[in-house]
Amino acid sequence: MTRGAGTSAVTGMTRLDATRRIAAWLGDDPAVPIVASLGHPAYDLFAAGDRDANFYTWGSMGLASSIGLGLALAQPKRRVVVLDGDGSLLMNLGSLATIGWTRPVNLVLVVWDNALYGTTGGQDTATAHGADLAAAARAMGLTAVETVTTIEELGRTLDRIDGEPGPWVVVAKVGENVPAVKPPLDCVFIKQRFMAAIGNAEAATEGAPI
Amino acid sequence: MSSDSFPQWAAGVCAGLHGAGSRHVIYVPDNPLSHVLRVLRDRYPDVATTIATREEEAFGIAAGLYLGGARPTVMLQSSGLGNSLNALTSLLVPYQIPALILISMRGDAGEWNAAQVPMGRAVASICDAIEVPHATAELPETTAETVALVGKTAFGTRRPGACLLPRRLTVPATKVGQ
Repeated sequence: MTRGAGTSAVTGMTRLDATRRIAAWLGDDPAVPIVASLGHPAYDLFAAGDRDANFYTWGSMGLASSIGLGLALAQPKRRVVVLDGDGSLLMNLGSLATIGWTRPVNLVLVVWDNALYGTTGGQDTATAHGADLAAAARAMGLTAVETVTTIEELGRTLDRIDGEPGPWVVVAKVGENVPAVKPPLDCVFIKQRFMAAIGNAEAATEGAPI
Repeated sequence: MSSDSFPQWAAGVCAGLHGAGSRHVIYVPDNPLSHVLRVLRDRYPDVATTIATREEEAFGIAAGLYLGGARPTVMLQSSGLGNSLNALTSLLVPYQIPALILISMRGDAGEWNAAQVPMGRAVASICDAIEVPHATAELPETTAETVALVGKTAFGTRRPGACLLPRRLTVPATKVGQ
């Protein structure tokens, strides 16, 4: 374990604080889908307030941004928010290239950058040693990219997102916190509840004429 | 190239996925699949195609498309199944998220590249092991029906399902082994 070897200094907000700020931002619209990367980002989303339109992943590390991209392409008039982690995005950096190519204006990708693998014991990620995920996003053709380090900066960026088309990438420098709760464990329940909340209930959950 | 030159199997793949209700194809290209893409471009303007950088990413995008109300198709070469396993086993299968999976086979009869053989030989066993049902399109004239049935089964039962496209189907006999 090499925690502390890099520059993963704790900044002005924890991931949970920042997640609560995102939840407050979306608070008046229960149908905005939020996709959370597995582990601590999903746990904190649940802690910030469970809602039907939260899609908690329990696996598929790295794919939260891809799931969000698919949602954004399927529902171009609906804002889609993804809460990713730095370690997770590093596992699927190609996703930035695909988002940069397809450019869904309704996608908001928030990356919790705590410079460590928080769910697995706090090992450094590459962002503790110079990797810059905002620069990576820009290099893939994305232009609505911000790095924020405080709740106030995050709030100002969320205000901008309300007025400017995406795709947005917000790299939020956060401190790690230890979650105390976990989201529902049943994957099919999560999916069916989520799809119904965004107006797309599966036929199998609704009954059908014979 | 005129539309007359589309191979029958490739036209069948497109008719099949379209008939299963799929209007989104996420793919990592390979040589035979280029024929499928040409048919889609020529005959199916209502089908959107998106290239992924990696097969695992393609399955993530497909999962999001399904959650958003679409019926996604993922196209890949058999070599890419290895890149897809975590997405399939920890997202699509446990969440019961369907996708029509079209696998352009390498490593089967007619292969010339030894590096394609181990995964090619393992595809069916891997699909069985992770409980992804699979069928093989055997003939050009039955490909549309097979693809459509795999797709309808996948979307109807909310499980990913694979249709294998063997080299004896996708590569002209004069080129097999080259």
